[in-house]
Amino acid sequence: MNEELDSQLSAMFDDELPTSECELLARRLARDELLKARWGRYAVVGAVIRAERGVRLNAPLAGRVNALLSAEPDHSAAAVPAQKSATRFGWWQPVAGGALAAGVAVVSVLWLRSQTPLPGGGLSAARAPAPATMPVVTVADSYVVPPTPAVRPMLVPSTELANYVVAHSVVSSPVARRNLLSSFITSEPAAAGAEEQKEDAKVHAQ
Amino acid sequence: MSADVSDLSLVRRVQRGDKGAFDALVLKYQHKLVKLVMRYVRNPAEAEDIAQEAFIKAYRALPGFRGDSAFYTWLYRIAINTAKNAVVSRDRSPIEYNLDRNSNDESNDMQGHMKDAETPEGLVLTDEIRSIVNGAIEALPEDLRTAIVLRELEGLSYEEIATAMDCPVGTVRSRIFRAREAIDRQLREVFEGGLGRAEELG
Repeated sequence: MNEELDSQLSAMFDDELPTSECELLARRLARDELLKARWGRYAVVGAVIRAERGVRLNAPLAGRVNALLSAEPDHSAAAVPAQKSATRFGWWQPVAGGALAAGVAVVSVLWLRSQTPLPGGGLSAARAPAPATMPVVTVADSYVVPPTPAVRPMLVPSTELANYVVAHSVVSSPVARRNLLSSFITSEPAAAGAEEQKEDAKVHAQ
Repeated sequence: MSADVSDLSLVRRVQRGDKGAFDALVLKYQHKLVKLVMRYVRNPAEAEDIAQEAFIKAYRALPGFRGDSAFYTWLYRIAINTAKNAVVSRDRSPIEYNLDRNSNDESNDMQGHMKDAETPEGLVLTDEIRSIVNGAIEALPEDLRTAIVLRELEGLSYEEIATAMDCPVGTVRSRIFRAREAIDRQLREVFEGGLGRAEELG
């Protein structure tokens, strides 16, 4: 037996060994049965010096505890199933979280679109009354922002919409009716002017 | 030197799954724990049963031990609680307590071991160990004997012993080691010879 090692063992038994040396010696002590037997005898010496009467020094207590512990799981082994179960049940959690976030995003976008006034009028597509004669314009949902055209296209032919507004003038307030019609009147010449400018450019080019 | 470093090193190893390290802790504290439990029960065999139960409880609870207190302090509390519970259980229903023990096969084995230890041969072995250790201590040079007694009997740290003996701490460490070696040399011969069975069991 190495004398230096035994000296370290004695110091470790008294809790007087530096931490770094303790780590190394603890590892060896846990595996080396001879070293462990010596460690056990150091404990016997201490018990005799302290005159611990009634304590049987040859009692098989450590052996009994050791035998019982062999049926116990290692603490590291007990930790592994917990990690495994965490990984088994954990894989879908990010996916579910992502799906939930995407769902919330879709609902939010749809709700915002329903709340945003259409460019051509003060009524939203969702809230606008849709009589049977009214052509329903459906816009496919898209998350790509389209390039902004120079002139915004009219969703509904202005004459038909004007007729519609006039036809429903009984139930709409005069102010709203006037604002709606004025917006059509001001937007149509702008659209017409744009078309005229394009045709002028073509003529000049020819 | 921070207290409880060596115990904590062993505890950390147990927490990482090294049962052998717990063995070392049991070997170190088994006598102290039995002595402690004997404040509550007079019967050495019963005290050992309770100490054994306390060690098993400690092992199971060790993943939760964070090192806020010394390991022995923590173990001490477990042992005291186990002893109190055992005493209450025994006082309330002594027959049931015995029946519980008999209903377990492992307990039957334990009782078999206890009977061995209670035999006159077992008592003789303990007395023989005491006699050998005491004889070895008497034979030690005075400086070694003083150092080991101050350490084991008074529980002084190496620094305190160095102050008491007016010598460097390194000398104290060396004296205690040499004292232990001298005692262990004789003890080992007996353990490997006539007390081989005790070594095997303990």
